[in-house]
Amino acid sequence: MELARLEIDGREEEKLLKDLQKIVGYFDELKELDIESTEPMTGGTDLNNVFRDDKDKQGTNLGSGTNGFPETNDDNFLKIPPVFE
Amino acid sequence: MNLGELTIEEFHQGLVTKKFTALEAVQNLFNHIKKTDKKIGAYLSLDEDGAIKSTEEVDIKISKGESISILAGIPMAIKDNILIKNLPATAASRILENYKASYDASVIKKLKEEQAVFIGKTNMDEFAMGSSTENSSFHITHNPHDPKRVPGGSSGGSAAAVASGQALAALGSDTGGSIRQPADFCGLVGLRPTYGAVSRSGLIAMASSLDQIGPIAKTARDAAILARAIYGKDSMDSTSVGLDLGGDILNPKLKDIESITIGLPIEYFPKEINKDISKGLEMVSQEFKNLKVNFKKISLPHTKYAISSYYIILPAEVSANLARFDGIRYSRIKNKESDNLKKLYFSQKTSGFGTETKRRVILGTFVLSSGYYDDYYKKAQQMRAIISKEFEEVFHEVDVILTPTSPTPAFKIGEKIADPLAMYMSDMFTIPSSLAGLPAISIPTGHKTEEGLPTSFQLIGKKWADATILKIGQLYEKTIGTEGKTAF
Repeated sequence: MELARLEIDGREEEKLLKDLQKIVGYFDELKELDIESTEPMTGGTDLNNVFRDDKDKQGTNLGSGTNGFPETNDDNFLKIPPVFE
Repeated sequence: MNLGELTIEEFHQGLVTKKFTALEAVQNLFNHIKKTDKKIGAYLSLDEDGAIKSTEEVDIKISKGESISILAGIPMAIKDNILIKNLPATAASRILENYKASYDASVIKKLKEEQAVFIGKTNMDEFAMGSSTENSSFHITHNPHDPKRVPGGSSGGSAAAVASGQALAALGSDTGGSIRQPADFCGLVGLRPTYGAVSRSGLIAMASSLDQIGPIAKTARDAAILARAIYGKDSMDSTSVGLDLGGDILNPKLKDIESITIGLPIEYFPKEINKDISKGLEMVSQEFKNLKVNFKKISLPHTKYAISSYYIILPAEVSANLARFDGIRYSRIKNKESDNLKKLYFSQKTSGFGTETKRRVILGTFVLSSGYYDDYYKKAQQMRAIISKEFEEVFHEVDVILTPTSPTPAFKIGEKIADPLAMYMSDMFTIPSSLAGLPAISIPTGHKTEEGLPTSFQLIGKKWADATILKIGQLYEKTIGTEGKTAF
């Protein structure tokens, strides 16, 4: 919960725990298999090393990230609450 | 007449022969939506002004006698996890309630070039997590064939909009079946492209190694027309690959399929299969046999492990992808402010994410954590490799694979929502091809249950053979006489 930055209250936690035990219990079917020698598939594609030339490039979505910030100051910097108490 | 019931070609004919203007069509459609969407709940937001504005140029071109694209003026519904500049994109989550997209998804750019018209953004399971659209944070969506039933999910709003004539066609996204299963439940055609055939730029990511955008349409022909428009390599998505669907994608010939072999995997036809699904599939096999197609029984023995593999890999990617929604960068929920960054993260995420999303984020964090990584995440990836390889091997013997799309027709609202594992099982026939990155299409069989619910079959193709399954789908529609007709 700490890792996921989520707070779960008592009742919610009870249901969640039960659901997760059931789901993770189901996953245990994988443990019965001897597949250690198989190379894991780590993505959806077999493409490797997609490079582009190391040149200046004007992004087509320029500014679109900062435009979406919910809170900015006058210079379009992202405004956040203090990190340290 | 409600113009939303037309196919893309019928609508295009109506436009160019001046039976109606693009503007009249959009006004007609919005009237229909205002009358029907209170009962259906397909849309999360509508853009009437924007839709009307985008018809202007189309109507000017027609009045001048200039040629227009087949998609020009076509009213489309877009799933709410696909960005359209300046329109809301909530992915049906409270945490994005106040977010407006600051750029167009690549597929939207392509459709804008064709002058398609966007009616609104459709309801979905939050961040595309679910199989019934009941996980939307805003409201549920009802199946147009029976309002007591779910439209499927996660692209349930897109499917319900098309099936109720509120849009001519729609875009959805498919991670483990989220285009094919709602298309099935609503009596439509849904295409999941080969992983990489369509750019994911501007799609709010759930599980990046599995997500694909694709069309939900009334016919395989409409799906092929849309595929032709949205496929292609894109510099904004480095996993995308240029795939040419071929000039004859809309002119499939019967002789093209005479020599093909369709594989029937025994694992997809269990003894306890629903009787209507089985009847529909028998009908489909018989029709194909009449067309002199060869059939072969095949086996994909690791199919039963696909659900475990998928529901480990998926939450793992979810927990990484959803970390970015922190109340800082995209939108912020009001009244959940905080004077300290860490507290803000907690309050935003806790109040912004729904139950299923929290469940998957926590599950993902767990399977990736040290100590459990080898037992779960690594094993799941190894299983994914085995499932992929198994498909590759059977494709030496057969050209396409025929299966049911879902184990049952549309289920009732509330039936599975309390039991996440039961909900996960409803994707058992669509998940394996997703893991392998293969193209797959869901098409109505033509057989309906006693209650009038549609049933569908799925064709799984070889990698990059998207054109093959689109053509076979069109030929099937021609054979059973639903070509160019809507299923309702």
